[in-house]
Amino acid sequence: MTDLLVIAGREIRERRRDPLLLVLIAFLALASIVSVVVAAAAFRTELDAYTAYVSQLLASGSSTPPAAPRLFPMQLLRGAVEYVEVLGALFAIVVGYGSVAAERRRGTLDLVLSRPIGRFSLGLGKLLGLSAVWGIVVISLAVVETIALATVGGASIGLYELRGIALATVVLWLYLVFWSAVAIGITALARRPSTGLIVAVAVWLVVVLILPQIGDTMDPDNQVPGGLFAALQIQRTDELSVMAHFAGFDGVRNAIEVSSIEKHTERLAFAFLGIKDQYNQQPLSAVWADMWPYALTLVAATALVTVGAALTTTRRTLQRRDS
Amino acid sequence: MNGFLVSARHELLATRRSRTASILVIVFVALVLASAVIGWITTRTVTDVYEQIRAAGMTSAPNPFSGASPLYFARNSAIYVVLIGCLMAIVLGTEAGLRDRRMRTSDLVLTRPVSAVSRLLGQFAGLGIVVLVALAVSLAASWVVIAAITGGPLSADETLRIVGFGGISWVLLMAFVGAGILGGVHSRHETAALLAPILVWSAITFVLPQVGTAARPIALLNPVPSVAATGGGFDLASAITGPLAITEQYKRVGAYLLQDPSASGSAALAVMILLTVLIGMFAVVGVTSRRSLRRALDD
Repeated sequence: MTDLLVIAGREIRERRRDPLLLVLIAFLALASIVSVVVAAAAFRTELDAYTAYVSQLLASGSSTPPAAPRLFPMQLLRGAVEYVEVLGALFAIVVGYGSVAAERRRGTLDLVLSRPIGRFSLGLGKLLGLSAVWGIVVISLAVVETIALATVGGASIGLYELRGIALATVVLWLYLVFWSAVAIGITALARRPSTGLIVAVAVWLVVVLILPQIGDTMDPDNQVPGGLFAALQIQRTDELSVMAHFAGFDGVRNAIEVSSIEKHTERLAFAFLGIKDQYNQQPLSAVWADMWPYALTLVAATALVTVGAALTTTRRTLQRRDS
Repeated sequence: MNGFLVSARHELLATRRSRTASILVIVFVALVLASAVIGWITTRTVTDVYEQIRAAGMTSAPNPFSGASPLYFARNSAIYVVLIGCLMAIVLGTEAGLRDRRMRTSDLVLTRPVSAVSRLLGQFAGLGIVVLVALAVSLAASWVVIAAITGGPLSADETLRIVGFGGISWVLLMAFVGAGILGGVHSRHETAALLAPILVWSAITFVLPQVGTAARPIALLNPVPSVAATGGGFDLASAITGPLAITEQYKRVGAYLLQDPSASGSAALAVMILLTVLIGMFAVVGVTSRRSLRRALDD
């Protein structure tokens, strides 16, 4: 247990000194702030267009203006969550890869493995250290985003909002730990560290971008701007009755989507933040009733890759030399 | 044979021997091919959904896909070029830039009568052939799949459009090959060599379109383009970031060539921007000094 904590502590110190990590985090924080600023500006533009429309309507004698667009501040975080899903995962891979590759490169791995450490201490210790680093990163991002919401977005942040942000932060933390564990495992197995990075990035591409893209493409309601059913003026109940005839196709499409851990993360984070309209301003119990399977899958997947990372970071694989 | 041609031939040989590069090329070809099949299955299902709605008397509107071009089946190819094609290009370029430095053969290579310019541009040209072959194979296979789906060969106009799509895809991918070569030649560490061009790609693909249009970062994955925000400073932001968002420019040209009804904006301007970026990348790679090529990695 002590050796695990020593390795974790060493990992945290290494990452603190790593300028690459700082660059990646700064990039992510900047992208998140830009995303909140752009979303707030888009809402203001929409509000201005509404105000102008209502003025014209009143001037023409109408007395029943349409409902004004409402700002739900947490929905401004949609882009920031997506950045963590896409870029955060990529950065978690790079950092996970770096923690193994740097040890191999410097030759310190042989030195560490010459010490009496436990069978799984190296892999688990590194992952524990990286989990702490990602914990600090996601908390810092949450603070930056909350400040951006309150200042640029002009939102009043209450207990409901803070609870949503806290839960989404935990979800995103698990997601980043998942990707670092994947990278550690793949890099440990690869004969050449750079091959490990390329393979891990290819896995990221398929899981984070390609699978959700195929799922989106196969969605019948995602084929024309505004949605197929809206374009054909079909009500929601009729839509469901029609789609019941295509349950097989829809099942395959959904299976492709949920085979990506990114979709589980997204559905959880969007639900806790109220980004998905269905869960906006809903009590936590109602959100949890729908979301617990996704939470369970995310936790199980992270636990599984953690075990995988521990099993692959053996002396035999780590000390294998490039032939 | 001069240094340029030797370097180009050497690059072809090295890429053929690299298992990682080969896997990426195969995945890219397979996905572009799969996009036609996925497009067909989806369009057929949507048509069935429409028929169901019409039979139930819920609509009298025409089928949104009636009269759609057969090339519409291949519309996802543009997204796969932006995603996996660009990654493939970056990896190929980075490997080319790093190889001599990693093997410590730069000094040996440069003792031969070859200039840094002809060495690098030769590598660039070699990779140009690799990318060209990958695109040619994937689009030829797409042509066959679409012809099989529609029950007849594509017309000359449609075939030319696919060739044009391949050409503009080559221009985009070569720009990222150049970014990869620059990362490989100038970075001090292998990780940074690959990461720097990937960061540039991420910013161009996800961040810039959001700044200019308020689109969601992953709007790229959606087959239907999101409506761009206008007014409130977005027009100015779009004018500034638009030319830099080369993947969006590429998608615009791709949408026109593949006869996507949602295509909008100036395709000619987009082609000009993409060509300018490629020529600029060619020039930047070309001015790399011998000293940069000989610099050892810190790894």
